[in-house]
Amino acid sequence: MLYNTHVDLLTTSVATVESGSEPYTLVELVGEADVTNSDALREVLDACVAQQPRTLILDLSGLRFMDSSALHVILRANRAMDRQGGVVALASPRDPVAKMLRLTAADQLIPVYQSVSEASAG
Amino acid sequence: MARSSVHLPEPPRRSQPLPSPTNDAMYHTYRSDLSQVRALVLQQAREAGLAESRSNDLVLAVSEVAANTLRHTRSSGTLGIWHDDDEIVCEIRDSGTIADPEAGRRKPAPDASGGHGLWIVRQVCDLVELTSDANGTTVRMHMALRSPSPR
Repeated sequence: MLYNTHVDLLTTSVATVESGSEPYTLVELVGEADVTNSDALREVLDACVAQQPRTLILDLSGLRFMDSSALHVILRANRAMDRQGGVVALASPRDPVAKMLRLTAADQLIPVYQSVSEASAG
Repeated sequence: MARSSVHLPEPPRRSQPLPSPTNDAMYHTYRSDLSQVRALVLQQAREAGLAESRSNDLVLAVSEVAANTLRHTRSSGTLGIWHDDDEIVCEIRDSGTIADPEAGRRKPAPDASGGHGLWIVRQVCDLVELTSDANGTTVRMHMALRSPSPR
């Protein structure tokens, strides 16, 4: 993963999970997602979307903070997936991130689950 | 319900100065390290005794305003934090100008490509004071230390 600044503030890992009924792309976000790393996050999500998965799950359990710039990047990926007939799901947000999703009503646009397993089953 | 007041000048009059902070105010200049800004706010909020959930709210609000410094200016910004027995105040000063006096007052569509930052600030803070002119912008975010329940 390439970042311009604050290399370790946000790390992402991407995996294709094939066990179970249908494969999905799982992206884990760890750290803090804000305007300083939102371009890098966009690159990661663009690359994931370009693979045209049916389901893209973002595991937010390791995310301490998300701001509106990061949210916009996620919403952008959601729109792209929607155009491709795919779906995005958010899993395991911590309280500050869950609040942010609720305040902005982003949780009305993208389903939010309490765990990755629930997200993959939903 | 968040109360907010906007003191925006009608050009070309200069904006009114805001009341002075306490003598033991803490100041920090940031350029691109918002994580540090957030950590300072969280630390001060906890020391002031602000409830955890509301401390997180204040961190989000201050981070959004500081992020606007990075989004809209090429300059550094200054974070100020002070509190008394009743409230904690975080102030962000930068060289940017907010031209729209209604900034942050309308809820953006969830899927809007921008504009969430100030709206979030107005939702979570008890009081927001914003002054902006050609010389720069100051945003002060107030949180009461004793509050019946988080938003």
